Order: sequence, then C-alpha cells, then structure tokens
Amino acid sequence: MHVLELLTTVPGIWVWVGALLTLAIFSFLFGDNPLYKVAEHLYVGVSVGYMITIYYWNFFKPDLIDPLFRGGQFIVIIPALLGLCYFAIFIQKLSWAVRIPMGFVLGWGAGVAVPAMLQSYIIRQIQGSLLAPEMLASWDTIVWGIVSFLGVITTVVYFFFSREQKGALKVVANIGIIYIMVGFGASFGYTVMARVSLLIGRLQFLLRDWLGVIS
Amino acid sequence: MNFAERLGRIDRRIVFAFIAVVVIVPFFLPLSILSRVSPEAQRLFDAVEDIRPNDKPLLISIDFDPQSMPEIYPMLEALLRHAFARDVPVVVMALWVTGVGLGELALNQVAPEYGKEYGRDYAFLGWKPGFAAVVLGMGRSIPETYPTDQYDTPLDELPVMQGVRNYDDIPLAISLSAGDPGVMTVWIPYVQARFGQDLGAGVTAVSAADAYPFLQSGQLTGLLAGMKGAAEYEFLIAEAGYTEAATPAIQAMDSQSMAHLAIILLIVLGNASFILTRKRK
Repeated sequence: MHVLELLTTVPGIWVWVGALLTLAIFSFLFGDNPLYKVAEHLYVGVSVGYMITIYYWNFFKPDLIDPLFRGGQFIVIIPALLGLCYFAIFIQKLSWAVRIPMGFVLGWGAGVAVPAMLQSYIIRQIQGSLLAPEMLASWDTIVWGIVSFLGVITTVVYFFFSREQKGALKVVANIGIIYIMVGFGASFGYTVMARVSLLIGRLQFLLRDWLGVIS
Repeated sequence: MNFAERLGRIDRRIVFAFIAVVVIVPFFLPLSILSRVSPEAQRLFDAVEDIRPNDKPLLISIDFDPQSMPEIYPMLEALLRHAFARDVPVVVMALWVTGVGLGELALNQVAPEYGKEYGRDYAFLGWKPGFAAVVLGMGRSIPETYPTDQYDTPLDELPVMQGVRNYDDIPLAISLSAGDPGVMTVWIPYVQARFGQDLGAGVTAVSAADAYPFLQSGQLTGLLAGMKGAAEYEFLIAEAGYTEAATPAIQAMDSQSMAHLAIILLIVLGNASFILTRKRK
C-alpha cells in the first residue's frame, strides 16, 4: 500500500495535519520562522496542484479532449488554438499572436459587461435611490428613504470637481463627507468582524476537532 | 515613561494574547447573546420557505474558498438543511475552483441527515471556467452549459434536473460569495439584471457594506452578512424545527461580541494614550 493511502487509514490524521499547520501559520505572530515558511509554501503548492487537477477534469477533458478525440468535434480545435496563442508570448518572433485571443476576450468581455454593469450598477441603483411612492408606506421607510436620498445627492456633490467648492456647494459637500465617513466606518467595522470570524473559525477547529474540549 | 506612554506602547503579542483569551472563554462560558434576526436574513429565509416542495430546484452557487469557511460554510450547511427539510430539490454549482471540495463536503454531510439521494433530490454541477460565459449560458440552457455533472453523469440522466432548462425553472438562486467572481460582479449584473432571476446572497462581512445597496434596490431578495448572518439563519431553521444539528455560527457569536468589546476598549485606550501624550508634549 502506498504511504499516503496508509496515512489516510489512520483516524484523525488529517485533523492533526490541519492543526499543526494552523499552529505553524499562527507562529508568524512571533515573527517569521521556518515553520511558517514550510506551511506557507505547502499551501501555495497544494492550492496550485488542486487547481490544475480540477482544471483538467472539469474543463480540458470534458470540453476539449473528449469532444475532439471521442466525439470527432473538430470545431473545438479553433478555441484550443486561440488558447495556445497565449503561450506565444514566450517566443519573441511569435509574440504578436498573443493579441488575437486577448482581442477576442477583451471585445467579448466589454460587449457583455458594459450593458450589464450599466443596468445593474447605474440604472437600478438610481431607481433604488429615488423617493418612490412605496416609501410612503410607514414612517420608518419615509425617514430612511430621505436619509438615503440625501446621502446619494450630497456624496455625488462632494465628487463634483468642475466648480470650486465654496458657499452652498461646500456645505452640501461637507454633509457628503459625513456620509462617506459613516460608510468607511461601517466597512471597517465589518472588516474587523470578518477577521475575528476567521480567528474564531480556527480556534473552533483547534478546540473542537483537534483537542475535543468543546462540543 | 509615564502611564499614558506605556499604554500606547503595549507589546502587540500581549494584544494578540488578550484577543485570544477573549475569544476562547465564551466557548466554555456561553452567554447566548444572539437575540435578534435581521430583516434581510428573515427575507432570505422566507424566500426559501416560499419554494414549493418536490418541484423546481433551489440553485446554490459556491463562490468562496476555504479561507472564508468560518463565515460562509455555516450558511451553506444551514441553507441545505432548510431546503432538504422542506423537500426542496437542490442544485449546487461553483464559480470558484476551490469551492468544489467545499460543495462536496457540505452535501455529503447534510444530505444523509435527511435521507436525500444524489441525482433524485440534489445534484452537483461542479465548476467551469469563464464565469460570465457560464452564468449567461445557463440563462439559455443549463444542460448545454453543463452537459455533465461533477461526476461525469449526463444531466438528462439525473431525475432532479428533469424539466430544468434555464433560469425560468429556478425559483431562487443564492450566491455564497467571498469576492470576485461572486454575487456583485457576476450574479447581479449577468443573471439578475439580464434574466430577472430572484437572487439571494450570503457574503463575507468585508463585502457586506457593498452588498446592502443591492438589497435596497430590490436586486437582492435577502442577504446574510458574515458570521452573524450565518448565525441568524441557523437560529431561524432551528426555531422552525428543521434541524437539531450543531450551530457553529451561533456558538461563535458570543466570542464575536466579546472580541468586538475588547477591540473597542483597545481603540479607546489607544486614542486616550495618544491624546494624553500629545497634550504633555
């Protein structure tokens, strides 16, 4: 039996591996050290290896190899050649060929993305910011509708640079700054919550799955 | 060096140790702080509740990786438990390569709890590259975009996929998203805006502030924000009697709250030290 297969038969072996690697990463809190370096390099290597495997089984095999060699669909040679053109960048004389797939991807991407982004990020967001009749349903929707509407207007005014900000324009822009600061504060608060969540997740793993001291 | 200066120069390892203690203690002394469910979590719960049992499937997209597991994985488990408890078929896919293993892990864990069978009650489509092309293609034809599932089985051989042609046959899609590609960069612009698909989301806390505007504009049906959102969903399904399974996110909320209090205290102390030191100079 292969040594890796043998290892998988030992109960909890991968929990131990995960726990020791977690502690190795945490050791960075006391400064860079060889244990941390081992864990870091292992993470990069395993991630790349995992991705290559998934790329092969979920993409190359079903979308290129099988249709070409089993299904006789020679049309897939065209996108395959386009993909190969990316590697032309390593050959100086042929490096011009990389522009073909890049032009194709950029053209397709822009054509698909521009209307979609306009619709979802501009038009729908403007609609969502308007004081619509349904906002008059209750006092809290009215209040929050007005707060939101003022926030959009004053923040946009703050980013209006075609005229010097003084007088009434400055007052409105300053209100916009308050909205922006509240936005930054909310983002920072959520970021703290996210980072603490990651610590909690690791500690739950160490205390529950590894040491078994919590349920 | 006076007290104010010493306060501003606390060794960072002491701060790390303090935060670790504050996080660990509530595991042993639970405080049960979670008492309120946000309206956005309730709306997502209601949207899943509105799906007819044994009919069209709920689509869940795994757009996160193991780095975001503590925040989003409990959402995935809770959503699966909710759907399976109500006999709602589930189709799972991934826009992140590293989400494939997480999808399999969750399905293999939750499906047996409810006696659900692969192919009949749920399916796993796996991952394909070119996220925009994938979700746009699914709007035209899901079986053409995913001719086979993650295990190389043709979709037309899976009973759960019978009659599922495109988004018209998906009552609700939920993206569990940790960034790009995810709910805000792919599902909202390419699926919700273009096909009018009802869309829910579970996001990391880092991106929650960016996701809220889409909730107000009606582009998102409901939203779970970070570990707190996961805890709220765990609470909702437990209260409805759908599960008696462990609730890791609820358990984590006590630690989360205590860590927030500790960080607020450190911010106040840091600022006090700064102001007092500056006054002295």
